[in-house]
Amino acid sequence: MIFDPILDLFRGKAVTIPPMDGAFRSNTALDEADAVLKIAAPDNLAFDGTHLLFSSGTDVLSLAPGSDKPERVERLPATVTAMAAGPERGLAIACDDGTIVIDGGKHADKRLTPASLGNLACPTALAFDGADHLLIAQGSDKHRASDWAVDLMEKNAGGSLWRVDLETGAAQRLAGDLAFPYGILIQGERIVVAESWRHRLVAIPRQGGAAQPLLTKLPGYPARLAPASDGGAWLALFAPRNRLIEFVLLENDYRAAMMQEIERPHWIAPALASGTSFLEPLQSGGVKTMGIHKPWSPSRSYGLVVRLDAALQPVASFHSRANGRRHGITSVVEAGGQVLAASQGGNAILAIDWRAEAGA
Amino acid sequence: MTVILETQKLTKAYRGVPAIKDIDFELQAGEIHSLVGENGAGKSTLTKIMAGAVIASSGKLLYRGQEISFATPSEALNAGIAMVFQETSLVPSMTVAQNLYLGQEKFLNRLRGIYISAQQFLQSLNFTVDPTAIVSTLGAAKKQMVEIARAVQHKAEVIIFDEPTATLTPEEKRHFFALMRRLKQRGVSIVFITHALEEALAHSDRITILRDGEKVQSGPTASFDRDTVIRHMVGRTLSGELYRNRRDAADIRKAGKKILSVQDISMGNIVRNNSFSVYEGQITGVFGLIGSGRTETFKVVSGIYKRNFLRGGDIELDGKPVRYYVPAPAVKDGILYVTEDRKAEGFFETMSIAENLYSGLLAAGLERVPYVSMREMRDLSQHWSKSLNVRAINDNARVIELSGGNQQKVVIGKSLVQKPKLVIFDEPTRGVDVGAIAEIHQIINKLADDGLAVVVISSYLPEIMNLSDRILVCRQGRIVEELSPQDATEEKIMYAAVH
Repeated sequence: MIFDPILDLFRGKAVTIPPMDGAFRSNTALDEADAVLKIAAPDNLAFDGTHLLFSSGTDVLSLAPGSDKPERVERLPATVTAMAAGPERGLAIACDDGTIVIDGGKHADKRLTPASLGNLACPTALAFDGADHLLIAQGSDKHRASDWAVDLMEKNAGGSLWRVDLETGAAQRLAGDLAFPYGILIQGERIVVAESWRHRLVAIPRQGGAAQPLLTKLPGYPARLAPASDGGAWLALFAPRNRLIEFVLLENDYRAAMMQEIERPHWIAPALASGTSFLEPLQSGGVKTMGIHKPWSPSRSYGLVVRLDAALQPVASFHSRANGRRHGITSVVEAGGQVLAASQGGNAILAIDWRAEAGA
Repeated sequence: MTVILETQKLTKAYRGVPAIKDIDFELQAGEIHSLVGENGAGKSTLTKIMAGAVIASSGKLLYRGQEISFATPSEALNAGIAMVFQETSLVPSMTVAQNLYLGQEKFLNRLRGIYISAQQFLQSLNFTVDPTAIVSTLGAAKKQMVEIARAVQHKAEVIIFDEPTATLTPEEKRHFFALMRRLKQRGVSIVFITHALEEALAHSDRITILRDGEKVQSGPTASFDRDTVIRHMVGRTLSGELYRNRRDAADIRKAGKKILSVQDISMGNIVRNNSFSVYEGQITGVFGLIGSGRTETFKVVSGIYKRNFLRGGDIELDGKPVRYYVPAPAVKDGILYVTEDRKAEGFFETMSIAENLYSGLLAAGLERVPYVSMREMRDLSQHWSKSLNVRAINDNARVIELSGGNQQKVVIGKSLVQKPKLVIFDEPTRGVDVGAIAEIHQIINKLADDGLAVVVISSYLPEIMNLSDRILVCRQGRIVEELSPQDATEEKIMYAAVH
């Protein structure tokens, strides 16, 4: 055993996937959840105190309590990749082209571009730090946010966390070398960041510094974080880890050939939805038997929302399993006593019955 | 119907203690007669006398109306009485076919010929066993099939099956019962010893119940139901408390600290990327069909088997990575595996209860003094015999002389002296009678109540559903599903185990 680290240099270190048990025990809570709204690829849920704000493609929409008719707030030139609600009804909106627009609030109509931010071109998560500062997670220094699958397959870790002064436009780098930071949560003197490709949450000092792991070995790819009313947090995981993808991530030549020769939707890579085309990988007897899609079968997509306690340890989880449809949960928020989750793969915003504490 | 085999006032005593006393038993021609009773009730002793393996102290054995006495099993076999023993009596280094025809070889024996003949014979019984396979490479179920085939092959008129179905899968059991019915149609009389009362009630014509070496009841199967059988066996009704489904959330223990985390362990084609966790203060039930890799997984965890050298996965005990190449360090770290095959792996059968328990202490390095202390051995034996209710003539009784249930308690005691953190019970009640099952279940529950992490591997669904606080289902070398006892139904568990 003492020689294992040395032997690993020659035989390759084993990549293991943590089981979905304990607080992560599988259930069908997301599939059973009520759909508040059915809409194409909802994402970036935010709550301004009265209305639910979210994006769908290039549109930013607002949904009044009890209504099922969203109103358009804004239409952007590119797909919205991140949003954050701030003080005085301010709303920061980031697009796939790297532009960040402030809508309402003290800095209304302020526009930040990659050029003005020093090539900050891949905003994946935003959070207001007071009224005058905006935290920006840059997912990758090589690709756009929508090219996340390419970033994963290239095994990049060029993400970073920035604080931008909205008065002056000055950007301060708080942390670097992050493997696709995809969620931000401010907790006292630390900033919690979801590092997707490393399947973990890390804490970064508010004034910047090294990232300290808080919660590691997550069974999927973490996305957005949102504060919970009890002092804990909500975490969305947008895709599951599986053996085949981990294997492909170890095989450099295969991966390079796959990226070159196969269309992206059919890569052996995590996905926000799956099972829609016969060309997809993982179509075999291991998935369906006698016409029944097995819930425990390997899948490229999955639906998972996790409730974390104040110490950011998982206490409960809500799932849509391989045979479910509410996959690709990229965003979650507590709004007006409800916990809402955006299922990009399932094209719906879901109200989770979190008091059932499924999986606890 | 004519009586083919009969005992009158049959008694057998060991060291003056009667194992059976004044038993009158009748087996009619062409009937299936179930013999049920707790371990130690005397079923095996009675049938061994019939099969010539044991000689009676007093009383008469009548075969076809004539008094007879067999000195050896081969005499009984020649007379037409065959017995399929609970413990395998096959020659492990020979092939299945060689075992089938052992003692009947022609002067010029042609191996190919007996393979073909054995293949045809096994196929006629619907047993999927390779006749060319060496017996030591077979699993317990397949060995049992060969045992059964050998008895049938001898064309006996009376066949005694001692717990034939304990190691068989549901599918194999169906084949076995079909075979039993075919034998009955041919006029063969069958004595069927079983602990699965449903099997006795479903497949036999008559039932005889023994308790403490005496016959307490005998009659047509239609006159019994499960509760009356149990009441006669143990003197009280246990059915409800033994196998009730735990649907009430208050009954289910909450998970404590994660004690064992297994991630992607692999071992050949048997264990494949298996991942799961085990928590303190809970019973984690693991269900799977034979060959699903559940036993092998936990043998890897406890260092009995080695995982794959390359990319064989990770095991963490109490948050620290561990990798065992032999069981000793696992035992020292508090991982204990209580084997499914107690006769082969569980105890030293010719040693006493005290010596067996003490050997467990020595294995963990927990002995008080660096030499063999007879006093420590005696104290240990007295303590555990009392707390586990091991019933024996005295502490110096050899374990082989105990009944199955008491042997199992010794195996459990031998493990518990090692002060474990995690106890893995593999088929803890296989070959154990109803009364001892209740006691073993009590022991398992108490361990979880005391805060230990407990794993119970079982092929018996009611046992898994009754004991477990969480149920893991294993299929093709990995855990495919986790269910809470509230959600679990036999159908859901079987679906996950099969598909």
